[in-house]
Amino acid sequence: MRFSVFSQLALYIRDVSLGVWSIFESCFTAFPYLFRWGDLRKEVTEGYPDPVSSKTADDLPPRSRGLLFNDIDRCTGCRECERSCPAQCIHIEEEPGADASKIWVSVFDIDFAQCIFCGLCVDVCQPASLIHTRQYEGAAYSLSDLVASFGRGQVTAEQRAKWAALRQLSESDEVTL
Amino acid sequence: MNTGNDQISWIVSWCRAIGLTPSNTPPWLYALLALLCTFCFVVVPSGAFISYLDRKLSADLQARVGPNRAGPGGLFQPFADILKLLQKDTQKQWGWRENFWLSVHTMALYSTLAVLPLGSVALLVDTEMSAFLPFWSALVLGLGTMLLGLSQESVPGWFGGIRVAAQTLAGSFPALVALLCVGIRAGGFRWSVLANSQGFSPWSWAVFANPFLLVAFFIFVMSGLVLLAIAPLDGGLSMSDIHGGVSSHLFGRRLSLFRFGRFYGFFLWSVITVVLFLGAWRLPNGFTHGLLRLEAYSVLAVFELVWLLLKTFTLMLLIVWISRVNTRSRVDQITDFSWKVLSPFSLLALVGASIWAGWRAF
Repeated sequence: MRFSVFSQLALYIRDVSLGVWSIFESCFTAFPYLFRWGDLRKEVTEGYPDPVSSKTADDLPPRSRGLLFNDIDRCTGCRECERSCPAQCIHIEEEPGADASKIWVSVFDIDFAQCIFCGLCVDVCQPASLIHTRQYEGAAYSLSDLVASFGRGQVTAEQRAKWAALRQLSESDEVTL
Repeated sequence: MNTGNDQISWIVSWCRAIGLTPSNTPPWLYALLALLCTFCFVVVPSGAFISYLDRKLSADLQARVGPNRAGPGGLFQPFADILKLLQKDTQKQWGWRENFWLSVHTMALYSTLAVLPLGSVALLVDTEMSAFLPFWSALVLGLGTMLLGLSQESVPGWFGGIRVAAQTLAGSFPALVALLCVGIRAGGFRWSVLANSQGFSPWSWAVFANPFLLVAFFIFVMSGLVLLAIAPLDGGLSMSDIHGGVSSHLFGRRLSLFRFGRFYGFFLWSVITVVLFLGAWRLPNGFTHGLLRLEAYSVLAVFELVWLLLKTFTLMLLIVWISRVNTRSRVDQITDFSWKVLSPFSLLALVGASIWAGWRAF
C-alpha cells in the first residue's frame, strides 16, 4: 500500500518540515548581509549621482549620442535634418535674410520628448552645426520644457521690409556690375 | 462588579497615568482623549519607525541602499511620504460605495484602539471579550476590503477583494483556536488575566509554558499574517497578476489611509501576540510594586509601554526579515496552507494545551 494513511501523513509532515526549513534557510542566508560580513554585502545599487562611482559626461564613450545642440551661426537652414528626422521632432522656420546668400533661421526647435537620438540629423548636417553633446540628463517637469530652441527669433515686419530693400539693392548692384 | 464601575475604573486608571484628575467631565470625553492619545502618540510614531526600519532592513538584506535622501540616513522618509501622499489628488471620480466601504474598513480597524493592550495602567477596555474584539474587527476588515474591491468595478479590485476575503476566512479559524490555547492556560480572556499569568523572565512567558503553546504561538503569528494579509502572506493584496489588488485604485489620501490601516493591522496583531505569548508588559515584580507604592503611575505606564513596544518591534522586524528573504506565496497556496497546515496543527495544540492544563489542575 503505497498511499496508505500513514504514508500520506508522513509525506504531509515531511512537506511541512521542509517548508519550515526552507524559510529558516533563506533567513540564515540573508543574515550576513545585515552586518556586512565578508565581501558579500557590497551594495550593488548606488546613490545618484555618486561623486565616487557614478558615470559623468567624461566617462561616456566618444561617439555617444547625448542631447542635440545646433550652432545657429554655422547653420545654413538647409532643412536636411528636418527631412531626415524619422520622429519628426525638428521644427524649422526660416526666411531670406539681409544678404541673398544667407537664410535667416528664425525657429529651430528640437522636441526631445519625441527625439529618439538616432543621430541621422547629425549625419546629414553639411555645415556640421548640429552635433550631439555629451549631456544626457534631460529630465524636465513639463513637456514644453523638453523643447530646445536654437532659432534666431522671429523677424518683425519692419525688419523684413528693410532686408527686402537691402536685397533689392545688392541685386541691382550686381546688375550694374 | 457592574459594568458602570468597569467603565469608570479604566478611565480613572488611565487618567492617573497621564496625570489628569478625573472630575465631573463626561467620561466619553476622556475616552475620546484616550483613543486619540493612543493613536497619535503610540500608533502613528510606531508606524513611522517601523516603516523606516522595514525599508532600511530590507535594503540591507537585498544589498541595496534604501532611503537616503530625506534627512540624515533617510530618517525623515516616512514624513516625506505622508506629505507627498496627502498632497496628491486623484483624477478618478469616487462612487459613494467606494467611500462607504473604505470608511467601514477604516472604522472596523480603528475600533480596536479601545482594546489595544498597552500596559496594565493604560489598559482601556478590559472585558472578558477583549481578546476576541480584534477578531471581530479583522473579519469586518476583510469584509470591508472585499466590498471596497467589488465596488471598484475593476479586475484588480474584484479579484483582490475576493482573495482578501478568502484569506481572512482561512486565517481566522487557526488564529481563534490558537487564542483559545492561551486562554485555557491563563484561565480567562481579559488582557489583565492573560498578562498576569506570565512574568518578566522569558521562562515564565506563555510561549515556553509547554510545547503545545510554542506551536500555538507560531500558528497564531502565521494565521495573523494570513488573516490580515501581511507580508509574506499577502498574496490577496499584492500578487502581480492583480497589480496590487484593492489598493491599485487608491491614490493620495485614500491610499495613505489604506496603507496605514494595513500597518495598523500588523502592529495590532504583533501587540496582541506579545501580550498573549511573550510576557505582555510584565516588568520584574519588585520594580512594579515599588513604583505602585510610590504612586508613580505615569512612570510605570511608560516603562510598561516601552518594554511592550520593544518586544513588539522585535517581533515585527523578525516578520519583516522573513518576508523580505522569502518569495511571496500565491493566494491559493496561502489559503491551502492555512486550512491544511495551520488548522490541524492548531487543533492539535488546543487538545494538547487542554490536556496539559487539566493535568496541572489535578
